[in-house]
Amino acid sequence: MVPQELIYAAGAVPVKLCSGSYTAFAIGDELVPRDACPLVKAVAGFQSMGVMPIYDECSLMVIPITCDCKKKMAGMLEEKCNVFTMQVPIAKEDDDIEQYIQELYQLIGKLENVTGNRVTYQSLREGMELVGYAQYELSRFLEYKKKMPYLIQGTHVMAMMNAFAYMEEDAWAEQVRRLNLELKMRVREKKKVTGRQLPRIMLTGSPIIFPNIKIPLLIEEMGGIVAADETCMGERGMYDPAVPVDDSFDGIVRALANRSIRPCTCPTFARNRQRIYRIRQMIEDFQIQGVVYHVLRGCLVYDFEYRELEEILGTMGIPIIRVESDYNEEDVEQIRIRIEAFIELIKMQHLPGTKNQ
Amino acid sequence: MKLKRKTKLAIAGVCAGLIALAYFAWKFPFYEYTRDVYETSAENLLTWDHLDAMKPFFMILLLSAVGIVLCIRARKRIIKSDPVNGPFVKAHTGKARGKLIEQKRSVFMTVRWMVMILSFFGLVYGGILFGVQITGISIPILSCPVNEQQTITSSCYYLAHLDELMALPLKDILIFCLSTLLSLVLLGRVICGFLCPLGLAQDVAHEVRQGLKIEGVSMTERMYRGLVPIKWVMVVLMLGLVFLGGNFCNFCPAITMSPAFAGMKVSLYISGFLMVLLLIGSFFKRRFWCNICPLGYLMGLLYKMSLFRVKKDCQACTECGACYEACPMGIKMIYTEREKTDVTDVNCIMCGECVKKCPEDHALALTFAGKEFYTASRKQVMSGYQQKERTKKRKRGEKKGHD
Repeated sequence: MVPQELIYAAGAVPVKLCSGSYTAFAIGDELVPRDACPLVKAVAGFQSMGVMPIYDECSLMVIPITCDCKKKMAGMLEEKCNVFTMQVPIAKEDDDIEQYIQELYQLIGKLENVTGNRVTYQSLREGMELVGYAQYELSRFLEYKKKMPYLIQGTHVMAMMNAFAYMEEDAWAEQVRRLNLELKMRVREKKKVTGRQLPRIMLTGSPIIFPNIKIPLLIEEMGGIVAADETCMGERGMYDPAVPVDDSFDGIVRALANRSIRPCTCPTFARNRQRIYRIRQMIEDFQIQGVVYHVLRGCLVYDFEYRELEEILGTMGIPIIRVESDYNEEDVEQIRIRIEAFIELIKMQHLPGTKNQ
Repeated sequence: MKLKRKTKLAIAGVCAGLIALAYFAWKFPFYEYTRDVYETSAENLLTWDHLDAMKPFFMILLLSAVGIVLCIRARKRIIKSDPVNGPFVKAHTGKARGKLIEQKRSVFMTVRWMVMILSFFGLVYGGILFGVQITGISIPILSCPVNEQQTITSSCYYLAHLDELMALPLKDILIFCLSTLLSLVLLGRVICGFLCPLGLAQDVAHEVRQGLKIEGVSMTERMYRGLVPIKWVMVVLMLGLVFLGGNFCNFCPAITMSPAFAGMKVSLYISGFLMVLLLIGSFFKRRFWCNICPLGYLMGLLYKMSLFRVKKDCQACTECGACYEACPMGIKMIYTEREKTDVTDVNCIMCGECVKKCPEDHALALTFAGKEFYTASRKQVMSGYQQKERTKKRKRGEKKGHD
C-alpha cells in the first residue's frame, strides 16, 4: 500500500514492520484489547519492549489505515515514535485515486522532513528503477514456477518473500537473480523437489509473517506442497508493477497511487470481487488442487471474504479449508490434524484410476 | 453519478460557444490570402510559393508554442498556491534529467508510427508526386479534401455538405456510401489511430511533451462524461451547419494541414484558431481532438460492424487500471469489465496503448477478424529491465576480467 519507491526516492530504506513474533505477541496482549488481531499485538509488543533495534531506530512509521485495529495502533504508537497515517480509500473510483495521490504527496512532504532530502524527478526515477528491477526478477521467478510445479518448496518461497521485508531492494533482487539462475538449471535438468505427486495447495487469507510460518510448514510437513500464495506478505505484495504513462514527476506519483490501490486485493476495500478472479487465475496458472484459507484470530475482513470464495470454489470442485490460528504454539497440533485430513482428502480425490471431476 | 449543476452549465456554455463560433466562422479570419489558389504541382513544392502557402501553418505552430508556454506558467502559479502540492513546485516544474526505464518498442508500435507517417505523406503528396489517385472512393478521415490532389478522397466533405451529396447522380451517391461503409467495416476507427494526419499531429505534440518531461493533464471520468454532449453538438454541427447556411470547413481544424503542406493557398477562418487550441490541447492531453472529433464519433457509432476488436481475458485481468490510465480516450470499461470478452468501445481508436501497458499475460489483445495481432504480456512490460540486467551482467564480467 505504501509505495517503496517514494521511500527510496527520499534517501531512506523501507522496512516492513508487520511482525509474527510470539514473544512480542504475548507482551502486546496486555496492551491492546483481547479481540485485536495478533499482528497488531505483536507490533505493539515490540514497540514497548525496546529489544528490537529495528523498531527503535525507525525514524518514521508509515501506517496505512486498512482496518480498525491498525487505526487504533497508529494512535497508540504515536507516543513512542514518529507516525504517519495514510487513509486508504474503501473504493477504487477515480475520486478515490485522486485522494490517494494527495495522500502520497503528503507522505513525500513528511519523508522530506524526516530525511532532509528533496524528492525530485531524478530520485523518484532511481527509486522506480530499484523496485522495478526487483519486480522484474520476481516476475521471472514466477514464470519458472508456473512452468513446472514442484520446482521449489513453498516454505522456501515464503522465506524469500518475507526476507524482502527486511532487505534492501537491490540486495534482494540480486539474490532472486541468482535463485533464478539456479531454477533455470533445475528446469533444464528436470530436477524437482520431490519425485512424488504431492497435492498442490494454495495459501490465501491473512498475512503469514516470519516467524509465524507454522501453516506453510505444517502443509509441507503433512505431505502437501504450497504451490502458490495469495497473501500480502507473499507474492502479492510485489506482484503488480507501476506503469507510468507520463514520464514526469506527477506522472510517476500517479502511477504509484494507481498501482497501490487498483490492483490491490486487500479486503479493506468494500467490494473485492477481483480477489476471487485473481485466485481463480492462480488456480489455473499453478495447477492448484486445494486452498487453505488462513484467518488470524480477530482478522475480520479476511474472515468476511471466506464465504463467497468457498461458494465459488465449490462450483469449481476445488476443496477449501478455513484455518484459524493465533500467534502461539498451542494450536499447532490441532491445525496439524486438520491439515493432514485436508491433504488426505485431496489425495483421495486425485488417486490414480479414480477420475474425479 | 449525476453531473453537477455547475458542470452542466459549463458544458452548455461550451456547446453554445461552439455553435456560435461555427456559425459565424467566416467572420473571424485567421489568415486571408488575397486570392485562394487551389492548384499545385510537384514543381511547386519546396519553393517560395510553397513556403507562402505554409505560412499560416507556421503561424499556428508559433502561436501554439506561445500558448503552451503561457499554460505552463499559469500552472506553475496554480501549483504554488495549492496547499498540498505547493512545496513540490520545483519537483513538478523543474528540469528533469534522465529517462525512466521504458519497455522495448514493440513491433506493433513501430508499425503504427510508420503507417501514420507514410499515410500522411501518401495522402498529402500521393496525387502530386506519384500520380496515385483513387477518385470516387472516399474514406472517413480528417485529411482535408479541399486538397483535391489527395490519394483518396475523404468522406467528410460530403458529410459536411449533405446538400451537395444529394445533388450528385445516384451512382456516385451509392459509391460514396458503399466505400465509406466498407472502410468502416474493414478498418473502423483504426483510421483514427493509424491513418489520420490530424492524429499524427496530435501524437507528435504528445511525444514532444514526453521528450521535454513536462507534466500532462489527466482527465477524470467525470470530465470524459462531460464531453459526450459536446461530441453530439459537433456531430450535429458537422451534418447540419450547411442547412443553416454555414460552412463546416471554415470551422474544421483539418483544413489547416493537408492543403498547406501540398502548397495550396487557402484562407483560414476560425479553423486556424481552433488548430492552435487543438495543438495546445493535445500537447497536454493526448489525442485531445479525437475526444471531440465529430467524424470520429460518427464512425465510432458504427463500431459494432468493425472487424478490428479489443479482446479481454477477464479472469487474467487484475484490474490494475494501467490500461485506463494509458487510454487517450478515457475508456474506463476496459478495466472494469468482468464478463464480456469484447471490450471495444465507441471511442476506441485502436492505438494499442492499453495493450502496451497491460502487465498481465493475454489479458488484453487487439484482434482483426478474430485473429490476435497484438497481445499483452508481462515480459513486454518488463522488457526494459531485461536490458538493464544484461548491461549489469556485462559490467560484472568486465570487473572480473580486470581482477
